[in-house]
Amino acid sequence: MMSSASGFGKALVIITGASKGFGRALALSIAPRLAAGSALILAARSDDLLQQLKADLSRAHPALTLRCAAADLSCQAGVESVIAAITHSDPDIEHLLLFNNAASLGDVSRFCGDFTDVDEVNSYLSLNVSSALCVTAGVLRAVPRRSGLTRVVVNISSLCALRPFPSWVLYCSGKAARDMMFRVLAEEEPELRVLNYAPGPLDTDMQRQARSSSADDALRSSFSVMHAQGQLLTCDQSISKLMQVLLEDKYTSGAHLDFYDL
Amino acid sequence: MWGFTGGFEVSMHDCRRDVSQSAQSFEKRAEMHEMHSFLSESLDIKRHTLLRCINTQHPASLKAASPQHPNMENEISPEPRDLGRALCIITGASKGFGRTLAFQLSCLLKPRSVLMLVARSAEQLNQLKEDIITLYGGQNKLDIRCVQADLEKKEGVEKTVQAAKETSVSELDHILLINNAASLGDVSRFALTFTDPAEVNRYLSLNVSGALSLTAGVLQAFPHRLSLRRSVVNISSLCALKPFPSWVLYCTGKAARDMMFRVLAEEEPDVRVLSYAPGPLDTDMQLQARRFSGDLQLRRSFSSMFSEGQLLSCETSGAKLMKLLQDNDFQSGAHLDFYEL
Repeated sequence: MMSSASGFGKALVIITGASKGFGRALALSIAPRLAAGSALILAARSDDLLQQLKADLSRAHPALTLRCAAADLSCQAGVESVIAAITHSDPDIEHLLLFNNAASLGDVSRFCGDFTDVDEVNSYLSLNVSSALCVTAGVLRAVPRRSGLTRVVVNISSLCALRPFPSWVLYCSGKAARDMMFRVLAEEEPELRVLNYAPGPLDTDMQRQARSSSADDALRSSFSVMHAQGQLLTCDQSISKLMQVLLEDKYTSGAHLDFYDL
Repeated sequence: MWGFTGGFEVSMHDCRRDVSQSAQSFEKRAEMHEMHSFLSESLDIKRHTLLRCINTQHPASLKAASPQHPNMENEISPEPRDLGRALCIITGASKGFGRTLAFQLSCLLKPRSVLMLVARSAEQLNQLKEDIITLYGGQNKLDIRCVQADLEKKEGVEKTVQAAKETSVSELDHILLINNAASLGDVSRFALTFTDPAEVNRYLSLNVSGALSLTAGVLQAFPHRLSLRRSVVNISSLCALKPFPSWVLYCTGKAARDMMFRVLAEEEPDVRVLSYAPGPLDTDMQLQARRFSGDLQLRRSFSSMFSEGQLLSCETSGAKLMKLLQDNDFQSGAHLDFYEL
């Protein structure tokens, strides 16, 4: 059976951006660590991809309740549909885990001086900053604090939250904003377990975008080199470290932990 | 208070506190009264003292303003190491720190510079413009333009960029943009109450997007060329670095801005980028902080800062920013705090 060291027991898990990349891999990795009767909520824009993932998961883990929330998190209705997906879930859980993973790179083919359109920047921040705050607030209100329940909020962060990269103003600003947001949350809610996890350079569609589109030549070529020399991480490699950190549960709430620190 | 024009009152109030903080002789109430009557004698003397207050941190101005050398020309003309013949844009200029910066920068700009004051309140901007003109005895050495704009809205940002574009660049040697406009957000509430993306989006629109798009627009309007200095200041905060309970929007916005301007500094080595954290200023924003902060401990510490006279005057903090801009040796993209300097 599942020991507490390797699993989260009976849990409610929510993953945004679950349709592909890191989010999808996370869903597949965490499912075996959940006790029967757990619920896994998968949110993303693409209903097709979500249903596919749900089908794959339910075959392997028939004891899990799986729900899809096809939603555009950059708008109110999207945020609400994620919250709606978790109501009526079994309240008798020992773990709540929210993975704020949905994100976009933004247009990395352009520099700061090109972002003259406020609407574009607002749209970016809406998905990458506002929705993370609102989904988190909504989920934590829907599943309030109680004894015997450990509530965990993970922000999928990045080195970009800490260091500036040329031609990446939206992504860096959004990640910096998110890290701070979750640090404030950690300050306000001492019983919450809040983690800013920077997964390292993952071999995903986002990475492909980075190496093909980044306007800054030096950056673009270092991404290409990483790819060519097999230095990119698989999502599973990074997730296994994340799982370890979460299960050990020794991190300081609000901390920024990078794959390469662990 | 003493028959000044409305615009001077706030500055003089700040100035008075500033002078007392410099451990001058105006600390005691009796001496304050003396100062009041001294100041009410003539416009020239008012202007003299105001200038002295504004430049209180600047050694050259103290020398120039000493009683032995009441040479008005020296005091009004730009200080050595001035900021050139500039287009200087200040957002959030109608009150608080922005307003003080308008006065202080006006002392450092060469004649025929353009001082562009941006805020939502046309009335307050016009008053500020009048006060600055009065300061120079009606000699319009500066071209002061008021731009009434709400930088939370796209139209506001575009209007400001357009106003900047209408400035003739041929004689200018410096473009200086001070991104000062900001809001605290609702600090009475905690992170878990922010369930409405529209509210968070509106906040970020003013405090993050607006600053980026305005900066982008201005830099596009005045592209790199030799002999044109371009400087961008981000009025930052300790909140960009440290989380404060019940301040999620403000901290998040300031963290985003700092990073934004760091990326800009990486991308544009010829643009001088500075994130300046001014310290706890005695302004309306501070009043909001100590009245409304949801976190009790935080609210108490703001109140005691206020009651124990630990708040900074805008002039004191502004003077440090002036020095940074004049020295111009800060590392581009750096976050510098009043208390570190």
